[in-house]
Amino acid sequence: MQLKKQNKITTTLTAATCTLLGINAADTVAEEGDWDFDSAILYYSEVDRVSAIEPVITAKREFGDEKSLNLKLVIDVLTGASANGATPSDQPQTFTRPSGKGSYTESADETPLDDTFKDTRVAFSTQWDQPLNSDYKTSLGANFSTEYDYLSLSLNGSLTRDFNKRNTSVSAGLSVANDTISPEGDLPIGFSSMAIDRGQAGFDSEFNATRDGGDDTKTTVDLIFGVTQVISSQTVMQLSYSISDSSGYLTDPFKIVSVVGNDGRPVDYRYEKRPDSRNKQSIYWQTKHHFTQDVLDISYRLFWDDWDITSHTIDLRYRWMFDSKRYLEPHFRYYSQSEADFYHRFLREGETLPEYASADYRLGELNGITLGLKYGMKLANEQEMSLRLEYYLQSGDNPEGDAPGILSDMELFPDVEAIIVQFSYNF
Amino acid sequence: MHRFRTQGWYSGKLTSQHAVRIEIVVTPSEGPQSKSQFNNQNSPPTLESADGYWKGHFQAMASPCDIFMEVDDQSLANKLLQIASGEAWRIEQKFSRYREDNIVHQLNNSNGQPVKVDDEVSHLLDFAQQCWELSEGMFDITSGVLRRVWKFNGGSDIPEQAAIEAILPLVGWQHVNWSRPFFTLPEGMEIDFGGIGKEYAVDRTLLLLQQMTKEGLLVNFGGDIHANSRTKSAKHWSVGIENPNQPDAAAGVLKIRKGALATSGDARRFLQHDGKRYGHVLNPKTGWPIEHAPRSVTVAANTCTEAGVLATFALLQGADAEAFLKSQDVRYWLNH
Repeated sequence: MQLKKQNKITTTLTAATCTLLGINAADTVAEEGDWDFDSAILYYSEVDRVSAIEPVITAKREFGDEKSLNLKLVIDVLTGASANGATPSDQPQTFTRPSGKGSYTESADETPLDDTFKDTRVAFSTQWDQPLNSDYKTSLGANFSTEYDYLSLSLNGSLTRDFNKRNTSVSAGLSVANDTISPEGDLPIGFSSMAIDRGQAGFDSEFNATRDGGDDTKTTVDLIFGVTQVISSQTVMQLSYSISDSSGYLTDPFKIVSVVGNDGRPVDYRYEKRPDSRNKQSIYWQTKHHFTQDVLDISYRLFWDDWDITSHTIDLRYRWMFDSKRYLEPHFRYYSQSEADFYHRFLREGETLPEYASADYRLGELNGITLGLKYGMKLANEQEMSLRLEYYLQSGDNPEGDAPGILSDMELFPDVEAIIVQFSYNF
Repeated sequence: MHRFRTQGWYSGKLTSQHAVRIEIVVTPSEGPQSKSQFNNQNSPPTLESADGYWKGHFQAMASPCDIFMEVDDQSLANKLLQIASGEAWRIEQKFSRYREDNIVHQLNNSNGQPVKVDDEVSHLLDFAQQCWELSEGMFDITSGVLRRVWKFNGGSDIPEQAAIEAILPLVGWQHVNWSRPFFTLPEGMEIDFGGIGKEYAVDRTLLLLQQMTKEGLLVNFGGDIHANSRTKSAKHWSVGIENPNQPDAAAGVLKIRKGALATSGDARRFLQHDGKRYGHVLNPKTGWPIEHAPRSVTVAANTCTEAGVLATFALLQGADAEAFLKSQDVRYWLNH
C-alpha cells in the first residue's frame, strides 16, 4: 500500500525507540539460525625478509540451547627471504637451494637469507560446541591445513564443567595432530654436508647423497587443563596448564649450520639435526577487568620444554572506550626466551659433531617487544570494524662468547623488525 | 489499531535444560473492552518459586502479566514484582483512554486549546509522530474515532460511506499541532496510545527492573515480551509461538538470549458483509478496513515497542505484509 516495500525503516525506528526509552541502541536479538561472520586481512612484513598476507574468514552459527558451529578459513601467502642459519662471511657465499635445483648467493657481510621462501597455505577448521547438561559443555573440532610441501590434520575435544552458579569453570582438552612434510628435493640427511654446484659433473649424485626419504611425519598430542573464575561482576581470571608431546620429524629441512675455521670463515655447511621428540609445558594466567567502560586485559605465560628452552610472555592490552561505539586499544607484549641446548650459531672445524645442532634463530636466546595500537568502531546494524597496527622488534644475544676470526666483527644476531597491519570486519 | 487481547501463560513444564518456556497464544478477544474492565480494583501480585527462578503474576491493561526473575532471594523477587506491577499500573492509569482522570482524557477534551504535557507524554507524542512519518500516514494515533462507526463484533453491519466521510475530517496527525511541550488537538479529534502503550510498558518495566538486578528477567504482558540475558544460568529463554487457528500444528519455539516479541492483530475481530470479510485494522486515509491483511503478526526485535510497531506496520500493508516484513530483515510469524 502506501509504504514502500523496499524501504527499510528499522534503523530509524530503532533510533526512535531508543529515544523514547532513553536507552542506547541495544544489541540485536541473538537468535538461532543467525550466521555471524568475521573477516580480517592481515599483512605481516619483516624488514628485508618474509612478508605475509593472510585473509581470514570465520562464520559462526548459533543453533539455540548454546549449540554453535564455528567454521574458519585462512589463506596465507608468504613471500620473501628467511635466514638459512649460516653465518655471514667477508666473502660472498653460495648455497644450494633446498630443492637441489639451482643456487643462491649472499653477498659479503650479510646474514645469509634463503630467498626461495614462497608458499601458500590454506587452512580450514571447524568446531562444534554443545552443552551435555546444565553443568557440562563439550566442544569438538577438526583442522585441516595444507601447503605445497606440508599437510596437517588434527582433531580436538574438550569438556567443561561449571560450578558455583557458573562462576567457576574447569575444563580439560585433548588435541591430536599429524603433520606430513614432503619438500621438493626430499628431506636432507641430518648433518650431511651441503653439496654446492660449482659446475662439477657429479653434482647431482653429490646432492642425492645428502637426501633421505621424500617425506616424514610428526605427531603431536596436547593436553590442556584450565580453570576460569569469575572474581566479581567486573573481573574474570583464567589459569591453565598445558603439556604437549611431539615426536617424529622435528627438524627444519631448509636450515643449515655453518662449520667455521679458526679465521671464522665457513669451511662447510651442514644440514641441521634436531631431536625427534619434544615435550613442552606451559602455565598461562590471564585476567580481564571491566572498568565502567574500559577493559584491561593482562596475561603471563611461562613456557619450558625438554630442549631446555624457557620463555616468559607478558601481554598487556587496554581497551579505551571513547563512547559506546569507538575504542582505541594500545597493546604491549614482551617475550623472552633462553636457547635450546642444541642451539649453535655455528660449529667449529675439527671439533666433534654434537648429537644435535641447529642455528635457527628461533631456538636461540632472544627478546621480543611488540607495540601496537588498535582502533575499532561499531557500525550500524551490529557491524564492527577495526584496524590494528603493530611493530615488532626482536633482538638476539650472543651467548657463544668470543667468535673466531672475522665473525667477531660480524652481526651474528641481527635484529628482526616487523610491521603488522590488520583490518577486521564483522558482519 | 491493536485493539486485541493476548493471553500468555507459563506452561509449567521444564525442558531437560530447565529452560523457562513462555507460551504465547493469540486468543479471541471478547469484543471492545468496556470501561468497567479498568475500574476493577487491582488484585495484589502473586509470587511463586520455580526451579532456579521466581515467577510473579498480576493483571494490568486487561492482560495477564508475568515476570520471570532468575534471582535467588525471595525478598528481591518480591521487590522486583512490586516495581513491575507498579509501573504497569502507572502506565495504564496515565495512558488509558477509558479513564477520566488522566492526560489522555484531558487532551481528548481540550476543545482545541493547547495543553502542556510532561516529558513522558512528550516522548510518546514524538514517537507517535515519527511512526506516522515512517508509515507515510498509515500509523496514526488519531484514527481511533473511526470506531464510532465501525463495530467489529463479528456482525455484518458496515457503515454508510457518508458516515465514514463525516468522521474522516477528525482523523489525521497532520491536523494536530505538536510543539513541545504544548499539544493542540482540534475539537472533536481524539488520540489513543493503545497501539504502543502496552509494548512501551513492557520495555519500561524491564528497564526499571534492570536497575535493581543484573540477573535474567523476562517481562510478559499479555504476550508482548521483552527479556534480558540469563546471566546466571547463561541459557536461552524459550518462547513458544502457537497459532490459535491451527492448534494441532507444531508450535514454533523461539530461543532468545535477549530481545523482544510483540503481536498485533486480532483474529476474531472482523465483520462479514456480503460474503466479504473485513478485518479490524482501519486505513486512516480512507476510513475503511485494510484488505487482505494477516489476522495477526508477531515480530521479534530489540525492544517490545519496536516489535509492536513493526507488527502494526505490517498489518497496515495488507496483502503486502509479508513482503514488508521480509524487507525489514526481522523474524516474524504470520497468522492468516
